Amino acid sequence: MSFDATQLFAYAPMLILIGMGCLILLAETFAQGASRAGLAWLGIAGCVGALIAIVAGWAGAAEPTTHFQGMLVVDRMALFLDGTFVAAALLTLLFAPPYLREQGFEFGEFYAMVLFATAGMVMVIHATHLVSLLIGIETMSLAAYVLTGCWRRSLRSAEGAIKYFLMGAFATGFLVYGMAMVYGTTGGELSYAGIASKVPQATKSPLFYLGEYFILVALGFKVAAVPFHMWAPDAYEGAPTPVTGFMAAGVKAAAFGAIVRLLGSAFASPLLVFDFTGWASVLAVLAAATMTLGNLAAIRQDNVKRLLAYSSISHAGYLLIGVVASGLGVASAKPAVLFYLASYTFTTLGAFGVVAWIGNRSDERLYVDDWAGVGTARPAVALAMTLFLLSLGGVPPTGGFFGKFYLFRAAMESPQLHWLVVVAVVNSMVSVYYYLRVVVSMYFRDSTRALAPTEGATMRLGLLLTAIAVVLLGIFPGTVVEWAGSIALK
Amino acid sequence: MPTTYYLVLSFVLFLIGTAGVLLRRNALIALMGIELQLNGGNLAMLAFSRELGDLKGHVFAFIIIALAAAEAAVGLAILVALFRGRQTVNLDEATLMKR
Repeated sequence: MSFDATQLFAYAPMLILIGMGCLILLAETFAQGASRAGLAWLGIAGCVGALIAIVAGWAGAAEPTTHFQGMLVVDRMALFLDGTFVAAALLTLLFAPPYLREQGFEFGEFYAMVLFATAGMVMVIHATHLVSLLIGIETMSLAAYVLTGCWRRSLRSAEGAIKYFLMGAFATGFLVYGMAMVYGTTGGELSYAGIASKVPQATKSPLFYLGEYFILVALGFKVAAVPFHMWAPDAYEGAPTPVTGFMAAGVKAAAFGAIVRLLGSAFASPLLVFDFTGWASVLAVLAAATMTLGNLAAIRQDNVKRLLAYSSISHAGYLLIGVVASGLGVASAKPAVLFYLASYTFTTLGAFGVVAWIGNRSDERLYVDDWAGVGTARPAVALAMTLFLLSLGGVPPTGGFFGKFYLFRAAMESPQLHWLVVVAVVNSMVSVYYYLRVVVSMYFRDSTRALAPTEGATMRLGLLLTAIAVVLLGIFPGTVVEWAGSIALK
Repeated sequence: MPTTYYLVLSFVLFLIGTAGVLLRRNALIALMGIELQLNGGNLAMLAFSRELGDLKGHVFAFIIIALAAAEAAVGLAILVALFRGRQTVNLDEATLMKR
């Protein structure tokens, strides 16, 4: 076995993110007051560099290539999601500086942690080996715990962080134990391809099923699927708002990417998919429960941040439908999931961006009633928020509509999933109700107190970019799904 | 000794850890529970590694140990932040956001 350093070039996006994160940590020690703003720009430069590296690698990734003895793979699916994660990080770095300055905790470590978390996400999605999967998930999660708890003045931040950390670390316990079981029962296989080749022998032992489901439970925690979702509302509410958007979009998308890859290779054997005990039927039930419980809880929320947190749980339910459909052999399901992840990422980031924008240090304005009058006071932001909420609800002509459309159409191709599509359609109609509550409050009710939002040029730029992305995904969904579709052809 | 003994022990460790996280309300004890879970996974990994005569499991165990250390560092830092704010690490009292 030899180590070929040129393989590292294929992972330039990840290396750029890590390098820039370290550079920010170093620069932070010399930064004083105003020069901290420059640290965010270093992070943004890192994200732009990573995006360029992703685009540069796109043409060469038409055929999947594995590196480092089968640890990591470069393919179109990975690069598509890399682009999504890096865009999420970039937008977070645009939203965060004015927010952090207003709330009084602008530290360089924040930007570095965003980059490290993104590097972890990139690793998760490239992983084709249980070791690289574990390292990627932990890099991403540890940085996310820190980001959740970094708002030192806020008790809620610490409380959200401890809940997020305990449940996340609990999930890691399951992940590690599950990996040990899979390792033992497959006769020492850790790579996805190796596991897949040993499934027929391994299934003789019940320990293999234990391992498989422990790994799925751990990933279920990461995507906040019911019944592993109890940490999500508190962690999302407690975290600084730009971080909430980043977690709800990036961390969830990365975990979904890992699920799609793992179930599509290591656990793709028909022995594991079908039957009553197969993961397809288990995940189908979880999908229905996740959508329904997420939506029912969101209806009762008056706090917009918490409402969006529950709505993000229900979106995990819709996404699981796509995962199940892809397991049942529907070829169009995987691109549909990827498109949904991309549109959901931009929409969620935008929505949380507006939530970060509206408040200030003394008045967070998180309740639906506090949003009264935004429509007349700040029509542009109100329009952007309306766009994001309609996209989350799946109303045309937004990216969210086509996301749901592709996903449900893919699920319709499998007769076993028709019931699930019915549940999902009813759910998305219900969800429009609570999204529209915010819109109604913004436009049709008079403000009780003057608006004093957190202003900032980068925040406005971020909102503009997310709004454009959501509209473009709604106008040219075909192009984007083709990028995602070129992934599905193996 | 047969591998089964070690597997049973590893599963018992894992269960004790799980119960610790789910049942105890002190965040420090919950942290210890998580460490036990990870150690259960480690022991199973090593037992299989010995049985199969395969070194990958040993290497994996080292990686898990390193991850557990990183996790403990972040976890304790969050715990300190929580304690500073409210002078307790009892999870039942962390109810600011319950509605």
